[in-house]
Amino acid sequence: MADKQLAATVAESAFQKQWFADLRRRVFDERQPYALLQADVPFELFDLVDVPAVSNQWWASIVAAKRQAPQFLDAMDADGLHGDLCRYCSLGYASTRYRSAGDAPWGGLPTPRLLCARLTCDCIHRVFELWADAFGAELFEIDHPGAGDLPPRWWELGRHRWRELVEPHRLAFVVATLEKLVERLEVISGRRLDREALRDRLEKVNQQEEIFDAVRRLIATAPECPVRMTEQITNVMATQWVRGSEWALAHARAFHDEVQQRVEAGVAACPGERVRLMWIGVGLWHDSGFYTAFESSHRAVFVWSMYLAFGPDGYIRYGLDDPMAALASRTASFNEYLHNPPWAAEWIVHQALEHRIDGALVLRPRSMKPAGTGRLFIERALEDAGIPVLPIAADVVDAREWDADGARAAVRSFLETRVGQ
Amino acid sequence: MQEPYVVASWPAVPVEIVRAAGFRAVMARGASAPTPAADAHLEPGIFPNRLRHLVEDALTGRLSRVARIIIPRTSDADYKCFLYLREFVRTGVATALAPVVLFDLLQSRGADVRNHDVARTRALLDALASCSGRMPSADDLRREITRANAARAAARRLVALRHIVPRATGTDVFPLLAAFWEVDPDRYVEMASEAVSRIAARPPLTGPRVLLTGAPVEGQILHEAIESHGAVVVAEVGPWGRGAAGDDVRIDDDPVAALADKYQADSIGARTPVDSLRRWTEHMLDDVDAVVVSLPPDDAVFGWDYPALRDVLKARRIPHVCLRGDQYQAPTAADHVQLGAMVSAASQMQEARRG
Repeated sequence: MADKQLAATVAESAFQKQWFADLRRRVFDERQPYALLQADVPFELFDLVDVPAVSNQWWASIVAAKRQAPQFLDAMDADGLHGDLCRYCSLGYASTRYRSAGDAPWGGLPTPRLLCARLTCDCIHRVFELWADAFGAELFEIDHPGAGDLPPRWWELGRHRWRELVEPHRLAFVVATLEKLVERLEVISGRRLDREALRDRLEKVNQQEEIFDAVRRLIATAPECPVRMTEQITNVMATQWVRGSEWALAHARAFHDEVQQRVEAGVAACPGERVRLMWIGVGLWHDSGFYTAFESSHRAVFVWSMYLAFGPDGYIRYGLDDPMAALASRTASFNEYLHNPPWAAEWIVHQALEHRIDGALVLRPRSMKPAGTGRLFIERALEDAGIPVLPIAADVVDAREWDADGARAAVRSFLETRVGQ
Repeated sequence: MQEPYVVASWPAVPVEIVRAAGFRAVMARGASAPTPAADAHLEPGIFPNRLRHLVEDALTGRLSRVARIIIPRTSDADYKCFLYLREFVRTGVATALAPVVLFDLLQSRGADVRNHDVARTRALLDALASCSGRMPSADDLRREITRANAARAAARRLVALRHIVPRATGTDVFPLLAAFWEVDPDRYVEMASEAVSRIAARPPLTGPRVLLTGAPVEGQILHEAIESHGAVVVAEVGPWGRGAAGDDVRIDDDPVAALADKYQADSIGARTPVDSLRRWTEHMLDDVDAVVVSLPPDDAVFGWDYPALRDVLKARRIPHVCLRGDQYQAPTAADHVQLGAMVSAASQMQEARRG
């Protein structure tokens, strides 16, 4: 993996390790409850009743980055779970169910009091049922009513006119479900959710995402990309899990200020940048070096991923007179924003043009079937907009069949033949 | 000129509402034929064969004259298919396609799911009624429920002839059960009753009784393969065979709510809660000698249930095989070797039990 160029990245990495150590101490020593959540669950509700929450996807990325995934995934295979089942959302389960097969990072996950998942992909119900069963813990499911009305330019509507973005019956359903979730959390924590505190937290989330929006503008408009995509992701991800907290806001500001200083000083992630690339899909957690592998040879820099860009466009909600409805409007359509026509392709092309992208690499996930949908629409829309596309087949946490050399060779060829090097 | 039928992507749409609104329901099925138009737009390995064929028909103009295409919320792939079809129309990829309706019946156990489902069922009724210009009354709906319940009773009589001492092969009975969804209920009662009379007169079949589970099958290719080894498929998971009829729909003041409740509880697909499928499967194990688990390449769901099922089967000493092939292709020679070994083991155990 490439060296970290930003002090903020070092601080963020230290924070998430310390945060997890504190979590284990709270759970083991103080017997406090915590929750395991899918990434698209509203973490704010848990934090506000003092139930810390661990993201399944964050944990999977840590296990994969620590090169522990193959052991757990081998154990899944040996237990008869076929290779076409999603490995990304189930790696955390595997690290629990087949605990002795590998060495889970930082001592492994303690037993949660509650697991909570939105039922977007069909497999989530299965994976979380199995996981809750393996822990002997309670599961709360947030079902996902389908969208029948998908107006254009969702990222603009979502900020001020979010009630128009989600059909009333879908919004009402998600609000009602979140209210039930709050009832459970209040019982578990023994604390009442303060609605004013929720409004205040969502205002702070808005502030945090506005800062990320400013970082995104810096990256889009600077002559050369000031911060590597991998460092963008590190700085955004752990901040998002505690979004709206004092630490998150302070860290977002520190990240922004450091990026701004680099822009003002003319410091580039890859001096002499010639090609600006975007990565479409979940991060390749087991091989983050892939994203910096073309800097010295081709001066090609990964400039964009969804992780930074989605914060401002997916999370900002102005007009918080009914904070639960605002939160529900954000929660209701994550999957549609990121993976489905027409929203995903429309947004990604818009982002590509704003970021002066020269070429796009699109993940073809090997086992995450739902995340693989919409891909052909995205690829076509980018090509129609004049942006060449290279599909990359990979499993984002499973390195066992990853051909690192072959993929790098394919990108080099793409850069030399299609992007015009 | 519009044809008086609707096409549904999976048998999880209340046919009572379809009929009361003046339409006939046709369910999408897979096939072994190629789907070149769909393949250009659908990512491989994600959409089941039946949806690839539905999209093929949509893109080649074969669904231009149906009244509506209804996509129930059976699976994530169905939902994505709904969004894709809309996008094909918006972008001009599909130039002649009937309007597409999402029937968003949720199946989880959340407290607000029922209200949502009743409202969505009413929305389906409104959508079809506005299409036909014929808004069914509550009495119209109750009449259709009564007719469909009679068909369900006839289907259950067929199912009884597979139970404990089977008198018909799965290959024979499966299409009769599957017809429940598309044949007029009165005609179905006649057809099923005639079949029941005919089958009841047959001698019992003595081969090992097999449960076909895993991903629901839509055709009888697997039945034929299993039964070619001398076994009898007595039950299969899914809405096409043993699960086609299910329990009756209650008849009360609110027929729409009754239909929402029935389809929420009984629809079988990728979003059916795992505990209800597990209960059904374990109940079926009391009356079978072997189990075939079908997990096709596009499976993203049912494979998760396999280790637990395997452990139960092992504990109960019931032989099983797990097949990974496409249900529209004939099983491979290797699959047949496995099936033969399973049937042989089940036969030996059957004989041992008989002393």
